[in-house]
Amino acid sequence: MAALTQDEAAPMVRRAHLARQTLVFAGLLALFAVAFVVSLCVGRFSVPATRALELIWLGATDPWRELTTIEERIVLLVRAPRVVLAALAGAGLALSGAALQGVFRNPLVSPDILGISQGAAFGGALGIMLGIWGFPLISMVFISGMAAVILVGLISRINGRSETITVILSGLVVSSMFSAVVSLLQFVADPNTSLPAIVYWLMGSFATATWERTLIAAPGLIIGGVLLWMLRFRLNILSLDEAEAQSLGARTSRERWLVFGLIAVIVGSQVAVSGIIGWIGIVIPHACRLLVGHDHRALLPASVVLGAGFMVIIDTLARTATAAEIPLGVITALVGAPIFALLLRNHYRERNGS
Amino acid sequence: MVSLTRFATRGLLAAALSGLLAHGAAAEEIIFKDQENREVKLAKAAERIVSIVIPMASTVIALDGGTKKLVGMNPTAKSAVLEGILSKIFPETKDIPSDVTAPNFVPNIEALTATNPDLVIQWGGRGNDIVAPITNAGLNAMLILYGTEQLTRDYMTMTSRAIGKPERIKELVEWRDRVQKDIEAKAKAIPQDKKPSTLYIARALSEIATTGTKGSYNAWYMELVGGRNASAELNGTVTINKEQIAQWDPEIIFLNAFEAKLDVNWVYNDPILSLTKAARNKRVYKMPLGGYRWDPPNQESPLAWMWTANLTQPDIFKYDLRAEMKTAYKTLYNYDITDADIDSILWMKEQSGSANYAQFKAK
Repeated sequence: MAALTQDEAAPMVRRAHLARQTLVFAGLLALFAVAFVVSLCVGRFSVPATRALELIWLGATDPWRELTTIEERIVLLVRAPRVVLAALAGAGLALSGAALQGVFRNPLVSPDILGISQGAAFGGALGIMLGIWGFPLISMVFISGMAAVILVGLISRINGRSETITVILSGLVVSSMFSAVVSLLQFVADPNTSLPAIVYWLMGSFATATWERTLIAAPGLIIGGVLLWMLRFRLNILSLDEAEAQSLGARTSRERWLVFGLIAVIVGSQVAVSGIIGWIGIVIPHACRLLVGHDHRALLPASVVLGAGFMVIIDTLARTATAAEIPLGVITALVGAPIFALLLRNHYRERNGS
Repeated sequence: MVSLTRFATRGLLAAALSGLLAHGAAAEEIIFKDQENREVKLAKAAERIVSIVIPMASTVIALDGGTKKLVGMNPTAKSAVLEGILSKIFPETKDIPSDVTAPNFVPNIEALTATNPDLVIQWGGRGNDIVAPITNAGLNAMLILYGTEQLTRDYMTMTSRAIGKPERIKELVEWRDRVQKDIEAKAKAIPQDKKPSTLYIARALSEIATTGTKGSYNAWYMELVGGRNASAELNGTVTINKEQIAQWDPEIIFLNAFEAKLDVNWVYNDPILSLTKAARNKRVYKMPLGGYRWDPPNQESPLAWMWTANLTQPDIFKYDLRAEMKTAYKTLYNYDITDADIDSILWMKEQSGSANYAQFKAK
């Protein structure tokens, strides 16, 4: 009798779960779509919303059209690449955060932990000091971000294997090393030109977004993201306890480094074009876990959509609230930290209650 | 403006009076209050001066009429000297040490003491942390404040007295006063709707920054010459985006002289900025770099105002800038400036295609 009810109940539970997941994803996608379109319609230069929508339609249907009026150029050359880049960067950061928290089985790690951001920041600060701009600067940032991860790998590898804790600690070591060098560069930078540029860049911004920069960052963000998505089953296994994961046939060390490598590609690409943006990689995955649960098959796509939507909203605030651009790091922390605190409290209150 | 000039005369009078008093007290001793209201006491006229403040290095050279008294400067001041004409007029400037301070005005006390200075010029209003090390090392610090023409005249006067050449500053301040009054008189008749909106871009290459009106020297002289600061609504120097510039749609754009790799093509090649009124009418200009960069207050400021005036209100101001520069460089540096020097200071090669720029061509 009992066995029968269970058999009957299981599909129902599954169906209810599926319905809930579908609803959540529909909600997230709608939020993202609205944020994306609204963001294209607002800005410091006033373009009527209907005209902006018309221009977006024209831009989407005939992308190679010659753009002559200032309205067209504002919407399609200033806003569109910026919104697309913000969405991609937000998605990449949230995805990286979700994957890393799974791999480390630690809810507090974020993409900064592997030293990528600080390594990349070093490349950027050095580039700005040397007066390098544009594509060479971006490649320099990317390379130094990758170098930081490789360094973490070398330091944490002891007797042919690297443990989670040594990886975290090595990341910390490499991070603080690079941030010290960044401080040194700030110390010797020209206070009239390169110093403010470095400081601003370290606080993160999409203000310089162009299609060119978006296309430079896009391959890394998209390929890294797709490959991480393909590893979603592996991530479920890696998030188990070490012995359990190995008994399921996972070669934990190798797979973990594969994940780190992909995250380095994603975060390196993001920092290269928009500086260091904190909080997204930690707030979004947590919010998504509350919405869709711990299964990476649902968690990863949810993080992508919510991360993209959240980043677009934050960036829209940054560029429209005042005549001056507000640094993103300031808004993500101001918005992200209280949300995170609320989520944490609710989560633990519920857990203690049940 | 009236109150400003009244202030100027009052400041000069006070300076002259206290100078007399100081002379009365002791034959050689020089005592004065700096702009943070601290007493600066020199046993005799300063012979060895270090300027941690960037534009003051070249001002000290101009006040002294040579490089003998400047024994140390900010690395950023040195880059201006090496990029500009001072290294040609005074080749020995390239040997003046610049390790006495970090670019951010934090002094390196050992290197500073090693130059054995009897006066160190430092910024006031930026906290005691960059001042205390100097005074703790037993050195004489003179603190100056940034921002207005009046403050600039006052600290230049102060420095001139400190180096024992109080008579030298008179002609320089008189020149500033004369040019300012001349511009004011001519600009008074300009109706508000004939004042073009002008935008000064303080940084362009890594991020775009511009400045509000309050406390900005650039905004002050842009308005002095009959322009309107396009970015008046801002507060201080802040980062903005191109969309905001399109919204302001300035009629004239001035680019800073700090970024060596920046030129007018940065505006003309940009899909958004090239559609502004300034770009369509070819009224985009990079600030000249002479004895110092012309954007902030310095010993050559009247030249910067005349240059800006001729470009902002070409129908009203017709200064013969080349002649003015020849006189000024003779007075400031005792140097006969050549036409080729002037061409490179004014970026004739880079921006001769800009509107109204042909007036600066050599005749």
